[in-house]
Amino acid sequence: MNFLRIFARNLLRGPSTVPFPFGPAWTPARMRGRVQFKLSSCTGCRACEQVCAPGAIRFDKTPEGLRFMMWHNTCVFCGMCEFYCPTDAIHQSDDWHMAHAVGEKYGMAIREVIPYTACTGCGMKTLASAPNPIGVVPPFTPEEVEQQRNQCPACRKKALAERGTPS
Amino acid sequence: MSNFTIPVGPLHVALEEPMYFRIDVHGETVNNVTINAGHVHRGIEYLITKRNVFQNVVLTERICSLCSNSHPQAYSMAIEQIAGIKVPPRAEYLRAIADEIKRVASHLFNVGVLAHLVGFESLFMHVMEVRERMQDVKESIFGNRMDIGANTIGGVRYDIDPERIGYLRAQLDALVPDVEEIIDLYHTDNSILRRTRGIGVLSHADALDCGVVGPVARAAGVNYDVRVKAPYAAYDRLEVPVHVLHDGDVWSRAMIRLMEARTAIDLIRQCLDALPDGPTVATAERPAIPPGEAIAKCEAPRGELIYYVRMTDSPKPERVKWRVPSFLNWDALGIMLKQAKVSDIAIIVNSIDPCISCTER
Ligand code: SF4
Ligand code: SF4
Repeated sequence: MNFLRIFARNLLRGPSTVPFPFGPAWTPARMRGRVQFKLSSCTGCRACEQVCAPGAIRFDKTPEGLRFMMWHNTCVFCGMCEFYCPTDAIHQSDDWHMAHAVGEKYGMAIREVIPYTACTGCGMKTLASAPNPIGVVPPFTPEEVEQQRNQCPACRKKALAERGTPS
Repeated sequence: MSNFTIPVGPLHVALEEPMYFRIDVHGETVNNVTINAGHVHRGIEYLITKRNVFQNVVLTERICSLCSNSHPQAYSMAIEQIAGIKVPPRAEYLRAIADEIKRVASHLFNVGVLAHLVGFESLFMHVMEVRERMQDVKESIFGNRMDIGANTIGGVRYDIDPERIGYLRAQLDALVPDVEEIIDLYHTDNSILRRTRGIGVLSHADALDCGVVGPVARAAGVNYDVRVKAPYAAYDRLEVPVHVLHDGDVWSRAMIRLMEARTAIDLIRQCLDALPDGPTVATAERPAIPPGEAIAKCEAPRGELIYYVRMTDSPKPERVKWRVPSFLNWDALGIMLKQAKVSDIAIIVNSIDPCISCTER
């Protein structure tokens, strides 16, 4: 008899399912969905590639630079890449609407190139990647980021040393 | 009455997991059971040696969906032991919270499926709806309904701010009356009692013999809970009541799970009350892992889960071996099913909350 009470209550409350896809489905803000990549923040450290269990993230060298590739259909939405990324270059958005026709499967990827550039200090060919912000106190200003981006690793180090490291 | 041999599984309407039972029956009474395994073997012990320490946090999480927090938890603890990493206090509490949230959802799931097997579909749906609140909590706080991704080497990957603590508390407050109502229902409802009281009995002596763990052991009077016997995460600072019943039947196992779900809510509240400030992970960058070996264990929803990890100079583990709770509980099925009625087989199998995906891995 107990259950009849629950039954009646549930009946009065109406359905608890949502009419998706004919209506909106509730999505929490923290939902770990589609991976997004922000080229201008990427340091090229490849930490994301190393922690990605299914191998959804791959880097390879092209004549133009270092290519970042990420395959959405291989991703397991674990969030390791975002957690170990030193900048905000990789982020899982709350977008989970990823069903697609088979024909579009090769388009379900991110392909971006960190280009080569000539170092503004010594002229050497180097990657125009964002500098690693870990341990930099006070944090880089946007101007400094742009300045460092166009320098080779050795010149970056020099600039950091001249900047001084306050304790 | 004549003797038959009937196959149950590996694909069977009443079995939640792919197990194959060859059952010799006399009339409708079970005489002998042979259990066959191997239907969901995925070679994870091999795969784990092909991935580095950090990738394996994610691989271990995918061994089983219902214990998906306990596997990376035990794995991380073993690696932390090898590397001598000290987990910050806040991370220890957050680990306990993640563990208990998963426990509530896992136990309610099993108890709900019991109602389904009994044929009480409306109760099944009601329990699943109550559980849905915990699923929403997981999705809101961790970002995923099953693989919550709470752990990493040296700490946790999530944090809760006052707003989320408020949300979590509100959800727990709303969950308590529902869970208590369900406990009451399983205590009194005749449809449930008729099908579960005195069914699939595992005596205290047999429980010790088979070495069963988790709710299966505690329902047979074995007072064993890793959270109390060998506390990990923040459990040494929490008040963890261990529920023990003595009948060892299907009903007792369901009641243990329901009471533990209720207790888990209190444990989460204790954690929220005592949550210390500070970092959530030992090092922001990936720590170096030296060679070495370690054993770690934790109390998964299904019982004691043990991990052994051996590292060499390579970033990939040389060997990872785990002993899962279902492996031992599964052995006890042979005893529980003796002299059972054919119609009770599915209910008895479900009562050990079998997890074949982690047993066969
Ligand atoms: S979310 Fe996980 S699986 Fe997906 S790209 Fe990031 S690390 Fe790889
Ligand atoms: S900065 Fe982030 S996105 Fe770029 S390589 Fe490193 S981890 Fe990957």
